Amino acid sequence: MENLNLFIRSIFIDNMIFAYFLGMCSFIAVSKNVKTAFGLGIAVTFMLTITLPINYLLQTYVLKAGALQWMGEEFADIDLEFLSLIVFIAVIASMTQLVEMIVEKYAPALYSSLGIFLPLIAVNCAILGGSLFMQQRGFENVGTAVCAGAGWGIGWLLAITAVAAVRERVAQYSNVPAPLRGVGITFIITALMGIAFMSFLGIKI
Amino acid sequence: MSNKSVFFNPFSKNNPVVVQILGICSVLAVTAKLEPALVMGLSVIAVLAFSNVIISLIRNTIPTNIRIIVQLVVVAGLVVIVSQLLEAFAYDVSKQLSVFIGLIITNCILMGRLEAFAMANRPWASFLDGLGNGIGYTIILVIVGFFRELLGSGTLFGFQIVPQCVYEMGYVNNGLMILPPMALIVVACIIWVHRSFNKDLQEK
Amino acid sequence: MNKQSNTYTLLYIIVLVAVVGTALAFTSISLKERQQNNAAADKMRQILASVNIEANGNSIAQEYEKYIISSFIVNDKGERIDNEVDAFDLSVEAQSKTEAAQRLLPVYQCKLDDGEIKYILPMYGAGLWGPIWGYISVNSDGRTIYGAYFAHQGETPGLGAEIEKPAFTSRFAGKKLFENNKFYPVAVVKAGQPAPEGADYVDGVSGGTITSKGVGAMIDNCISPYSSFLESLDR
Repeated sequence: MENLNLFIRSIFIDNMIFAYFLGMCSFIAVSKNVKTAFGLGIAVTFMLTITLPINYLLQTYVLKAGALQWMGEEFADIDLEFLSLIVFIAVIASMTQLVEMIVEKYAPALYSSLGIFLPLIAVNCAILGGSLFMQQRGFENVGTAVCAGAGWGIGWLLAITAVAAVRERVAQYSNVPAPLRGVGITFIITALMGIAFMSFLGIKI
Repeated sequence: MSNKSVFFNPFSKNNPVVVQILGICSVLAVTAKLEPALVMGLSVIAVLAFSNVIISLIRNTIPTNIRIIVQLVVVAGLVVIVSQLLEAFAYDVSKQLSVFIGLIITNCILMGRLEAFAMANRPWASFLDGLGNGIGYTIILVIVGFFRELLGSGTLFGFQIVPQCVYEMGYVNNGLMILPPMALIVVACIIWVHRSFNKDLQEK
Repeated sequence: MNKQSNTYTLLYIIVLVAVVGTALAFTSISLKERQQNNAAADKMRQILASVNIEANGNSIAQEYEKYIISSFIVNDKGERIDNEVDAFDLSVEAQSKTEAAQRLLPVYQCKLDDGEIKYILPMYGAGLWGPIWGYISVNSDGRTIYGAYFAHQGETPGLGAEIEKPAFTSRFAGKKLFENNKFYPVAVVKAGQPAPEGADYVDGVSGGTITSKGVGAMIDNCISPYSSFLESLDR
């Protein structure tokens, strides 16, 4: 139950785009049309769901102060927390590479639709942000990490698809002032949607 | 390109934030107040300049297939050093910035400059490029931070700017300015102004 | 040497990791002491803030020495207990998550300029976005609150974040912890809504409903175990 709450909370209330504004670079660049936006969203969801539990395990059993206790008492007061950033980013970068290779080999159709987005993901702040939030909040177990990861990913997917749909319409039907066209108006659309998403804050789950 | 244009271009004509649209996340998150915005800018300048130099120095030895990972490791190392320094010498600010210092690693400006410039240029030019882009980024950060703190809290660097008598006449701080969505709107306004003066940047 | 060969790549990674790892370990170890001092000074500042003493810069440690005359640990029956970890170094976060009966409860005894004794109790809880924490100071008879200090990690600026402002913390001064000799934690209620029976209450911050509720829950969770200790002060 706890985890289900967290999952829903991560999608709507703690939305990576509208509440934390993470992963904006690729968000702005790729939200020109719904189809590619959806592809990137799926890739981000996938990466968040697998990297978060891996980083959680590393954090709990290797990095945290006293985490190495399972190796013996003399390791109990080692604190490797200062390495966590580098470990997290290495996990994310190598997982990206690994997933790219696996998908390319076993699901070529998926690869051709996702392929170009995968390398972009290593530097998507939302993925690293997820791991850092996990560390900051001190999740209880792996299940929590998986749920939060999946929730954040789906929230990101939802956000990029919604904004892409609005952008498609705006590009076709609206007469936007020339200097605002493209990036400028996208910022404003995202901001307004962000304000709308704040109304979820009042929901208690 | 001369060294001079490498250094000055990112200030406006090729600004990393409003033209290249890189590194937006941190612009939104840390600009509710001017002070953290400035510290964040300075941290990015330092990390960007030094990672550019390091990558430029070792650019000919890096195996191409693990290029991205090498860049990330170098950047991550520098970021950790910066965050440790902040924690030791500017504790209050490091608490305010919390996870966003870590997110410098995935600040797209860094990876963008490393890929586009440092991998192909000599160390000195790369250093200037890093410095220039860092400053260009900081300029935007400071402008956004200035408006958000002034309109949202009536202060600058924590000092009261809007006089008390104005409040007594019924003026209220705009609480919306402190919320992250307003940073997007401020950036959009900067883009608007910037592109009205630089017509060649306008999109169709 | 062939730059694309696997041996080269592997060697490269090993050398890179070794160099970066050494550099990081070096900075981490050489700055550790300073960082710990900073964290300790910040904690002292917060403790002093709950009895309305403002300290900053280098004077924090001196002021702390001057005002905080002792610190000790009690259990939920109000008995002092010996513990190998000092009260100051005890993690309130870890304690707040355990069963009330097993908790180690730190107390700071403070002597103000006018000779009055106050007891300062630490708290830790959850707000809307992340952790919130604080300190409540209680008068020497253990019956009423003297002052409070709250801090947060990332509550919404202008809404939930207002809990750290004096406008909110000053509302706690003088609130009663006991009614008819029965302990009630101070409740935080939404303005205009009825308070729970028996308990004294303060108004929450406007627009920060969830953060205010978090503060109320934190007081309930962290101060209630002290009830026996506070009761014993009166005798």
